[in-house]
Amino acid sequence: MPIGVYVCHCGLNIAGVLNMEELKSFAEKLPDVAVARDLQFSCSDVGQEQIQNDIAQLKLDRVVVAACSPRLHEPTFRRAIAKAGLNPYMLEMANIREQCSWVHMEQPAMATEKAKDLIAMAVAKATLLRPLEPESIPVSKNVLVVGGGVAGIAAALDLGDCGLHVFLVERRPTIGGYMALLTDVFPTNDCSICVLGPKMSEVYNHPDITLITYAEVLGVEGSVGNFTVSGVRKARYVDEKLCKGCISECADVCPVEVPSEYDFAIGKRKAIYIPYPQAVPLVACVDPKACIGCARCVEACPAHAVKLDQEPQDFKLNVGAIIVATGWQPFDATRKEEYGFGRYRDVITTLQMERMLNASGPTKGEVVRPSTGKIAERVAFLQCVGSRDSSVGNLYCSRICCMASLKNAQLVKEKYPQTDITIYYIDIRACGEGYEEFYVRAQKLGINFVRSRVSCIEEVEGELFLIFEDTQTGEMKRVKHDLAVLSVGLEPDSKADVLGNLLGLSRRPDGFFEIAHPKMRPVEAHIDGVFIAGCASGPKEIPISIAQGSAAAAKAVKLLHKGVLELEPTSAYVDPEKCIKCKLCVDICPKKAIAVKSPAYVDEAACKGCGSCAAACPVDAINMRFFSDEQIMAQVRAATEVKREFPLIVAFLCNWCSYGAADLAGTARIQYPTNARNIRVMCSARVDPSFILEALSRGADGVLIAGCRIGECHYRDGNYQALQRVNVLKGVLEKIGLDPGRVKIVWCAASEGEIYAKDLRDFIGELKAMGPIGTELKKERAEEKNGETALP
Amino acid sequence: MPGDEPFKQEVLRLAGPEVLTCIQCGTCSASCPTANLMNPSIRRLIKLCLEGKKEEALHNETLWLCTSCLLCTVRCPRGIRPKAVVSALKDIAERTGLQGKDAAYEKFFLEQIKDYGRIAELALTAKFLLVFPQGVVQSMQMGLELLPRGKIGLEIEKIKGRDEVKRIIEELWKE
Repeated sequence: MPIGVYVCHCGLNIAGVLNMEELKSFAEKLPDVAVARDLQFSCSDVGQEQIQNDIAQLKLDRVVVAACSPRLHEPTFRRAIAKAGLNPYMLEMANIREQCSWVHMEQPAMATEKAKDLIAMAVAKATLLRPLEPESIPVSKNVLVVGGGVAGIAAALDLGDCGLHVFLVERRPTIGGYMALLTDVFPTNDCSICVLGPKMSEVYNHPDITLITYAEVLGVEGSVGNFTVSGVRKARYVDEKLCKGCISECADVCPVEVPSEYDFAIGKRKAIYIPYPQAVPLVACVDPKACIGCARCVEACPAHAVKLDQEPQDFKLNVGAIIVATGWQPFDATRKEEYGFGRYRDVITTLQMERMLNASGPTKGEVVRPSTGKIAERVAFLQCVGSRDSSVGNLYCSRICCMASLKNAQLVKEKYPQTDITIYYIDIRACGEGYEEFYVRAQKLGINFVRSRVSCIEEVEGELFLIFEDTQTGEMKRVKHDLAVLSVGLEPDSKADVLGNLLGLSRRPDGFFEIAHPKMRPVEAHIDGVFIAGCASGPKEIPISIAQGSAAAAKAVKLLHKGVLELEPTSAYVDPEKCIKCKLCVDICPKKAIAVKSPAYVDEAACKGCGSCAAACPVDAINMRFFSDEQIMAQVRAATEVKREFPLIVAFLCNWCSYGAADLAGTARIQYPTNARNIRVMCSARVDPSFILEALSRGADGVLIAGCRIGECHYRDGNYQALQRVNVLKGVLEKIGLDPGRVKIVWCAASEGEIYAKDLRDFIGELKAMGPIGTELKKERAEEKNGETALP
Repeated sequence: MPGDEPFKQEVLRLAGPEVLTCIQCGTCSASCPTANLMNPSIRRLIKLCLEGKKEEALHNETLWLCTSCLLCTVRCPRGIRPKAVVSALKDIAERTGLQGKDAAYEKFFLEQIKDYGRIAELALTAKFLLVFPQGVVQSMQMGLELLPRGKIGLEIEKIKGRDEVKRIIEELWKE
């Protein structure tokens, strides 16, 4: 097993502090090292060629480069050794620049000692490296889009135009979502269905889009690239192929009338109906709950399309990616009892107002009081109903309601200039292009604005009275209106729970689906191959929903367009002999990549290699292909082989945040003592308690575990798991008589080099106070002895 | 003038840190059944606390007009308990030696409970009116109406196990 070790000068960046000669001769004497050289710039062409020549001539089968951070040049050296015919994973780097020479500039001697340990650790790990082959799997070029609202439509059209095949599954009989039901839309007051309608038709006619309406997804199996999705198409009781969409023939003869969900119950529809004239597909649908089975529609239909004996149909799809665009549902205004919605007929919601203003709506565009049918003269808009309200559990702002009310108020005012309109608001949130101007326009139209949150509505003899404090004047008021519009907030669609559970999506405290990163990955779910677009991940305006639909489509294209998926060979694997089927790993895995059949099985396409399962497995049946137990143990042993200073700290740093923070401390030349021997792991959850115990039993004075800040874990909640394990371990340490303070867990973001350095300095101080490892045991023994002798 | 920070912190300690999240929407004032008598309004009172305006927050009738109906607390969109703010201010007022009607009434009320185990309306009102004679005529008129209907009695009723009640209240006072 000949290993080549290359110690990089990096100009004077490293050589200016560390003693290169000493490091080189130290490396030469390490076991299995065939050659050790110091290179001026190992990453330069000359440096790389030297390494490649040695591989060829000395038959090296693994390489250690002691230079900068692996986060910077690991890919460079992997490519270099691959060119020379080695497996790219037969490389290990010792970070002697960012985490040594740059942070210990004042202590060159101690820094050189530390660098020796870092090189010894890298060599020890290198001896255990195994060649890994990135596996390629063929992937399906189909994409499932769930939800046919504006976000889902945008995603489906972009995907279809890129040549991927789309299955668009919609729960309702028509696509279009809420946008299709709105009247004009802000801030330009253009007609909603006029801009959406053509897109809906385009979806219907697109050769690469299969539209599956009135259907539900009931099962999802598989992982990124190869999902198998099963579902059911509910019976419409109308043959989609035969129905001509004439709208009236069947409905005209139907004797049953029920409130229409597409008019939010202020309009009516028949038991056989087409949701609205622009519905896509333009096919009638029978509501089985309302139908009395008189079959008059069957006779009336000239195309013989009504089939009351139709059965639900199962479907099964193979797709490579899934876009979740399940949208939202309006806040149930009856929950705010003080506003009387549901009791007072003239208290309505924004959506009912939208339908009234809609020229094809139930009132043909007239804004009337539902109680009298007369044109409303004094209209009130109440903002933040079910938003920004912890008493109903929705602390978030629904983002669109201010603009929707400004828009509806304008439409009413333009249609009926004499109407007295007041908007009761806490804050007007008009943040968007042209939004503030839109607000000013409403003010200029003579719409009244009162800064107040209405406390309750009373109905006295058919009139509504709003009770509120005008917070700008301090006056308590009771004002008469004849129509009150509740600006209801947006809530996540409760029916999307089924899909969320099937996919293993997590939810934020506000109930919406959580995205992989709140800023950097706005349309990706935690699960690979699953994307989230539109209001499923929080309230959004139409343009943002469309942008997200297109973004999710682009992500899906990026994933699938090659037809194959290259997998990082860093996944977990199970030793079936050892597995006791306890299923602990199944619950822990943030990617839902593990299933326990007989025994546990890791889906390597879904696994991202965080290693939490390997740390959790009570019988060590799970190991990692990269960052294996043996490799990390070897690093721990090498770090504690010679105790070069007190206190000696073995530190485990997560790749994404704290290792980055330690690198940043170097880039920023933040100086701190040399005591820590850093071991890079993918996630703080990878740290198996046995690593910590090994370090302490071999004489390390303390062990530091550093992860991403709580709530920011790259793998969702690995740092919580690490915290839990450390807390349990602290209890164990206390029982055996060691100070639990010898194990410390800290959090730092990749931008927090200063915090990493401070945490380390603090820890060194604490360990100095404790004394070398075992001091407390000696003390305890001495006390016991004293106790014995004190006894008579 | 900078606000009285210790006073603000004391209110927050007693009424809860969520008071800091007040958005001055006025739901509390508009929900309050005695709001028309209050000055400042309960919304304004919270603002005064947050600004550390101790004198203005303590020297007003608003505190003593609160009926503890809790409608403000039920409706607050920020989960603040305006009623708890009022209680906190009463508490502070008492500690700083400000004796309001309310505090006096509460004291007489508790004394009766301690001694008799229940309330004797007539005796309680009489005792109270001796200290705060405003409205004495009104109270007497009402008393004269209530007496013949048997709504209030002249005798002081006592319960069994008064010693136990007395012990409990004295125990609580110790704290």
